[in-house]
Amino acid sequence: MLKGTAASEGIGIGKVLVIEEHSLEYTPKTVVDTESELSRFEQAVEKFCENTTEQAEAIRKSTGDKEAQILEGHIQIIKDPYLMSEIEKLISGGMCAESALEQMCDLFITMFSAADDELTKQRAADVKDIKTAILSILLGIQELKISDAPKGTVLVADELTPSMTAGIVKENIVGIVTQTGGKTSHSAILARALEIPAVLSVENAVEILKNGQEIVVDGSDGIVITNPDSNQIKEYTAKSEAFIQERRELEKYRGQKTVSKSGEEYELFCNIGKPEDAVKAMEADGEGVGLFRTEFLFMDRSSIPTEDEQFEAYKKAALILKGKSLIIRTLDIGGDKDLPYLGLEKEENPFMGFRAIRYCLKNSELFKAQIRAILRASAFGDVKIMFPLVTTVDEVRAGKKIVEEAKLELKAENIAYDENIKVGVMMETSSAAVIADLLAKEADFFSIGTNDLTGYTMACDRGNSDVSYLYSALQPSVLRLIKNIIKCGNENNIPVGMCGEAAANPQMIPLLISFGLTEFSVSAPSVLKVRKNISKWTKSDADAVAEKVMALSTEKEIDEFLKSMI
Amino acid sequence: MVSKQLTLVNAQGFHMRPASVFATAMGKYPCDVTIKFNGNDVNAKSLLNIIAACIKCGSEIEVVCSGEKEEEALAEAVQLIESGLGE
Repeated sequence: MLKGTAASEGIGIGKVLVIEEHSLEYTPKTVVDTESELSRFEQAVEKFCENTTEQAEAIRKSTGDKEAQILEGHIQIIKDPYLMSEIEKLISGGMCAESALEQMCDLFITMFSAADDELTKQRAADVKDIKTAILSILLGIQELKISDAPKGTVLVADELTPSMTAGIVKENIVGIVTQTGGKTSHSAILARALEIPAVLSVENAVEILKNGQEIVVDGSDGIVITNPDSNQIKEYTAKSEAFIQERRELEKYRGQKTVSKSGEEYELFCNIGKPEDAVKAMEADGEGVGLFRTEFLFMDRSSIPTEDEQFEAYKKAALILKGKSLIIRTLDIGGDKDLPYLGLEKEENPFMGFRAIRYCLKNSELFKAQIRAILRASAFGDVKIMFPLVTTVDEVRAGKKIVEEAKLELKAENIAYDENIKVGVMMETSSAAVIADLLAKEADFFSIGTNDLTGYTMACDRGNSDVSYLYSALQPSVLRLIKNIIKCGNENNIPVGMCGEAAANPQMIPLLISFGLTEFSVSAPSVLKVRKNISKWTKSDADAVAEKVMALSTEKEIDEFLKSMI
Repeated sequence: MVSKQLTLVNAQGFHMRPASVFATAMGKYPCDVTIKFNGNDVNAKSLLNIIAACIKCGSEIEVVCSGEKEEEALAEAVQLIESGLGE
């Protein structure tokens, strides 16, 4: 079994076709007849553009316009007036076409690779791809035609270049395995668009896997099974069928509203940890972001990020979301999440200690910089602020006071922000749940964080295997708190969402519908599943289930009853 | 010579597609077009040079056009950048 990066979901079972890299070695020489060398180069470029246009058309039909544009970009790159004129200058000076092309392409490959920006780095692969393709033409090398691969082929290559991907006939290629490339590489994006299971970054795949060998590519778990026995084939065939069936079923919900069977509409958001994840949320058909954890900005560094750095990150997410809701949770640090540069003291009981809003209110400079950054980003989208780990009304008032101060400062500095920005409370402590009626008068919205709410209410650490049996959002106590939070929110006309794992749990959905939750925030891959699950329930069926559940006395009974209902 | 200070508004900055839209548009004009950014002069007719400059969203840049049809070139440059380069 080989391990790699799960880059495109699904299971592929088929025979290996290794795409070997041809040696592109040549002996650099000095040219005397520069005119004919120039025309040799121009012909190669022309041939390259023809091939690429052909490939782009093929990919436009098989995959889509966006993917075709990636390839057409290659024509624009090679036709770049600066690149062309520099190569021509080198050839006119007596350099052979191969060397001139390589020298200029390598210059940009080096420059792009050195950039600290992921998108720019990816362009290095494009230039490399162009260089290889034109060198092959100049050297008269015949490329293996991937479009001729028979049905049931698993492509194995060092790296799947965009031009290789273009040759893929979707019906014939059942899987892709490469030695390099991550989740966001072109190969991965194209594999997902083509819905071909792919495992990338598998070490030495090209040497280990042999032409004609049967393998299983599990693009969901990121593994490759090299010599599957008949049982494994059976197991994975079943897994593959189930996956395809489910995907087909879920795709029906893409682009649809999130509605119950009886017509109530809900908001279905995503939880994200980085601004770039907003792209995934959009790809997954999320209707906004219900929880943007901001801790990542503060981690893996040696000092607090500046207001400007934070502003850039929040603004980036807001712009990607194009006016859709973006709930930014202020720093939730302390507890188990330590930042060495803050110099926090070790605590006996960190979960009960100096963390999240408690820490922020004591360190108002750090807190205000974050609030200012969020406010500035609110000029670029529908941004909301959420305070974590609230236990008292005082904390919400103190937090809101800082928001108001920050607004006045920005106004005085003539910096744009959303004057009516909503400030909400993350409901994740038992105290907050019990005083939800009081908090609802202070907050513009609630979002229930079931992970901590369950832990605090059950006084149980789910990482401790001796007590983890207690950890369940289906505990009668936790359900009563959730119900109370939603009821108090509804009574005070503020929206109530849920951003914990329970929001995606099919057992919870009828209860949340019945209690009156208005927004579900889940991980990107769960969006369509949750939309489907919500669509299965009418309000009255959900009410009937909730009524029975609330009359049951133990978690076990509730769990069993709900399992029988879904 | 004409020039204008601008802020880049499209979310992903001057990446492949916007850079290509911009370079192609500027390529139509006979004048020189330069983007001044971070103390560097970037050839705005070259897609590769624009990408290499790594100009991110929110960056302050100056577009400088010099030569024949400089006014028209600058007008189109401003329009393109302010409209988010078709993104």
